[in-house]
Amino acid sequence: MSGHVKIMYPQVSISPTARTWLSLMLVVAIHPSDAGAACGNTPCGPSLQRSLKLTRLMHKESGDLLKTYKASQGDQSDLFCQKSSNIVPDPIISGLDPSERILSIYSHCKTFLPHLTRVTEQQTDLQPPSSPLLNQLLTAQNRISGLGNQINCLYQTLFPNLPIPPEPVDGPMSVPPPQNVFQQKIYGCVVLKRFKEFLANSARELKTIKDQMCSRRKTFGHANALF
Amino acid sequence: MSFSLSVKSTIHFVGVLSFVRFSSSLLGLFTTYGTITPQSPQVEIGKNFTATCVLYETAESTADDIFWTCNGKVPEELYTKINDSAVSVTIKITPDTCKWLICNKQPRYVNQTPAIHGIMLTKGYPPEKPNNLSCMAVQSGQKISPILNCSWEPGTRDELLKTNYTLHTSWTGFNSSQKSIGYINMETFPSYCELKIWVEVANSLGKVQSETLTVGDANYLVKTNPPLNVHIYSENNFPRSLLVKWRRPIEKHFFRLKYNIRFCAVGSEDWSEVPPNDTESDVDSFRLQHLKPYTEYVVQVRCMHSIGLGYWSDWSANATWWTPEDKPSSQPDLWRVVIPSQGKSERRVQVMCKDPVESNGRIRNYSIKIQDGGRKTVLVNRSETESRKIIPLYQFVLPDDGEALIELDACNSRGMSPRASLTIPKFTHEPPSVKSLSWFTKEGRLWVEWVPHRGKARDVTEYILEWVSVSDGALDWQRERASRTGLANGNLEKFKRYSISVYPMYSGKTGKPWTEPAFLDQKAPMVGPVVNVSRCGKNDAELRWMEIPLDKQQGFITNYTIFYTMGKQEQSITVSADTYSYTLKHLTSGSKYVVRVMASTVAGDTFGPEYTFNTLEYAPGEIEGIVVLVCLAFLFLVVSLVVTCILKMERIKKKIWPPVPDPSNSTIANWSPDFPSKADPVSKENALGDVSVVEVDVFDGRSLCEEDKAGLPLKKDKYLSEEHSSGIGGSSCMSSPRQSVSDSDEGGDSGQTTASTVQYSSVVASSGYKGQTPQPCSSQAQTPSFARSESTQPLLESEEQPEGQEGSGQPHLRHPRNAYFRRLPGGSSDDDDNNSGDPGDLNQLEMEDQGLTLLQFSPLEEGSQQTTPTEEGQTPDGQLDPIPSYLPQLRGYRPQ
Repeated sequence: MSGHVKIMYPQVSISPTARTWLSLMLVVAIHPSDAGAACGNTPCGPSLQRSLKLTRLMHKESGDLLKTYKASQGDQSDLFCQKSSNIVPDPIISGLDPSERILSIYSHCKTFLPHLTRVTEQQTDLQPPSSPLLNQLLTAQNRISGLGNQINCLYQTLFPNLPIPPEPVDGPMSVPPPQNVFQQKIYGCVVLKRFKEFLANSARELKTIKDQMCSRRKTFGHANALF
Repeated sequence: MSFSLSVKSTIHFVGVLSFVRFSSSLLGLFTTYGTITPQSPQVEIGKNFTATCVLYETAESTADDIFWTCNGKVPEELYTKINDSAVSVTIKITPDTCKWLICNKQPRYVNQTPAIHGIMLTKGYPPEKPNNLSCMAVQSGQKISPILNCSWEPGTRDELLKTNYTLHTSWTGFNSSQKSIGYINMETFPSYCELKIWVEVANSLGKVQSETLTVGDANYLVKTNPPLNVHIYSENNFPRSLLVKWRRPIEKHFFRLKYNIRFCAVGSEDWSEVPPNDTESDVDSFRLQHLKPYTEYVVQVRCMHSIGLGYWSDWSANATWWTPEDKPSSQPDLWRVVIPSQGKSERRVQVMCKDPVESNGRIRNYSIKIQDGGRKTVLVNRSETESRKIIPLYQFVLPDDGEALIELDACNSRGMSPRASLTIPKFTHEPPSVKSLSWFTKEGRLWVEWVPHRGKARDVTEYILEWVSVSDGALDWQRERASRTGLANGNLEKFKRYSISVYPMYSGKTGKPWTEPAFLDQKAPMVGPVVNVSRCGKNDAELRWMEIPLDKQQGFITNYTIFYTMGKQEQSITVSADTYSYTLKHLTSGSKYVVRVMASTVAGDTFGPEYTFNTLEYAPGEIEGIVVLVCLAFLFLVVSLVVTCILKMERIKKKIWPPVPDPSNSTIANWSPDFPSKADPVSKENALGDVSVVEVDVFDGRSLCEEDKAGLPLKKDKYLSEEHSSGIGGSSCMSSPRQSVSDSDEGGDSGQTTASTVQYSSVVASSGYKGQTPQPCSSQAQTPSFARSESTQPLLESEEQPEGQEGSGQPHLRHPRNAYFRRLPGGSSDDDDNNSGDPGDLNQLEMEDQGLTLLQFSPLEEGSQQTTPTEEGQTPDGQLDPIPSYLPQLRGYRPQ
């Protein structure tokens, strides 16, 4: 009885590869218009608060993800993360006013999703199926999708008269071409590192927006009158 | 019956027919005549269903020939003719609607089958809308499980059709659902994301979905793990406070938590809960306040989303700790037991106490002071768990006319308690007791009620309710302030007898108690009374039994019932509880009874052992009475007999001892020529004394009877008969001549032939007597003359007078007769030798003896030849027995 023992869980078991593809389908299935349907009418209500908390949660998890990634890449993992890549989105939130900055956050969510997906694909090949890294990567994908919906909803709530541009305004959407393992490891670490920075920036930005917008609304009463 | 059979056969036939037609359509072997639309429909119960039968040309029939059957022919009113080849039918579907709907045509010839086509109706209901959808996600590790578990209430109707339940969320995942529960795996739990959940129910008749459960934040569906690492800390300077710390079960980034804390003292199940408002903030510690010092507390913590939505976690594991000690904050419970001394005007007082209710620590010693005496310290050495135990402190003797003030302080490591005091008044000055006392039980607890003493109620500061176990003497008490009812809080045991007392306390001074027995609960006595019989008579028996020991009564004895059984008949008598003896009456004498006594309480009965006893055959003294009566009767009979004998003495005497004719006065002497006609006056005077014994001379007898002996064997019978007949005749040589006489008298003398009735005969030979010439024995020629007497007296000497003497020719009558009489061996034998005894001496001898006992037959002088009489008359020591002077009749008179 020294053979393999398969632990049975009361949940649907899905192979990591299938899980990855299903996640991609899930991401594709989330359309901004669908998310907008769930948005509320109170800009300073739970929508902004939830977006901020979700961003913080994702930032916390991205730190853990990066640690896990480094731990799972073997020796010289720090070396991988010191490299830079032009194909990875910049984590900086751009824009002059809150609407642009919120839109920048939304665009980054859309931009980072294919990169996370790509890293997940690459690590699926590099890591054993039981590696926690894959699960965390999957969670990061799901969360960035949810954050995108939340930001979209927040944008529609805060700026109902401003349309969302169809294409992302920040960063390249294209994923890198086929790479060798070394390049994959460098690429993955850069993606996760910038992803974490993006989330930190987003949290900070949302906190600022919350403080600015909601305190002002509390002061003047009617937020929509400002926009 | 025929209809149902036809339906069954039709259905069977249709099934076969359908198969055949289906097969024929495939193989082209058979011709189909039409079809029904729709095929194999699933119909909804309660609604109308329409089917259309279309005839093919091969049917060679028209729509008018079509008829429908469905558990019988469907009424034509339900038909609708569409055209010449199609007819539809509309029926209302009910649960009882037939399973097969068949289109038929009128047969053209006899053997043609009417069925054209049939369809099977699958009945059912459309799906019902699920209600009360609720979902929950639990914590898994440091995250929230992506699996969302939901439950709902399905419809109440039977699902006649296959029904599918599908759980849907706005967050795509994989679901698996059953009738009332389901789960969906969302890969990642969508924290901070809005989530919509609904259930879709579908079957062939339709589809319906539940109300959508919308949560603005999926975290509102989370049930976390209970708080981790719950610890309690105490601080010495805060004896009424404990600090509780814990760690949140999930990362703060998921959501904020609020907590719920509850605590209780160890051993108590009465939880106290910290107000929720105090723990709404996401904290990780809390200080419990207003606790009891030196008490071990149990604390549990749980948590949930700070918004209040979602689910409370389970309670954390128990965390226990002691609060620090503090000085006692209440008095010790001081009490006493007063035991009066027998025969002395003093009391023995046992002082005892219980720890203060708020001892706030372990009591280490007590400081007691009796009246004006010095203060004494009583150390308390016990374990931690023995708090509130009764502690005997001090014992002293108090005179009846003395009063004692007792003061007591309890000390622990932190300080001294408030002082408790108790005054024992003089015996004759005890304040009055309560007016009355009663008790009752309610819900397994003992309640005591009392009525305060009228006029003194205002002076009473409190009441002491005391109870003492009768079985083991265990005592306990409690204080009731300004109350008339008390619930005994001690560990009173069921079925035990307690003495309940209430003492009114007048500013620390004890009043007289009122005591009543009580039971917390009652049941049948543990043992029954042991009965025995203390007295048993002929028709009654007194039973006695002892009272059941108080510790085994287990209730108040209400009565005793005596069961006594004789054979199979049992009787019972019920007596009061204070009866310990009873006399059973009207019992059957000489019978076996089995008796037993049953003791009863309100809760049951218990029999004692059986006791078996037997009633007496006779009453005491009855036998003695009977004996006395019999004795008296016998005595009376004897007395009567004696009196009768006395009164009838002469007559009886004559009857028993008939008068013996005195030979001297015998008239037979008269007919002797030589005999004087009149007796000698002297002889007459001595007639009574002329009792003489015939002396039989063996030699003479032998010599005289040689002839008889010779002829004895031959004439034995006759000889014996002669002896019987004559009684004395055999002894005489002249018996032979008298044989004829004897024989002639045989019949008349038969009654006198027994030994007891020896017939005394006086035979007087006519020869050799009174001067007649003696004749030899063998002389047969002379005719004897004799006379017979009925006397039983001994034979007279005249019968055996020897010839020599006869020949002496002495004229005096006495002389020859007296020659046959001899004195006893001890007497003078000279008279015999002389053959001429003094008549006077002889008479004197006869007078002295008054009988024959002193006169013995003296064969010794006859020499050793005389053997038979010697053997009979001589005792083994050679002495002569006082045998009668005559020979018994049994011996006959042969020796004579």
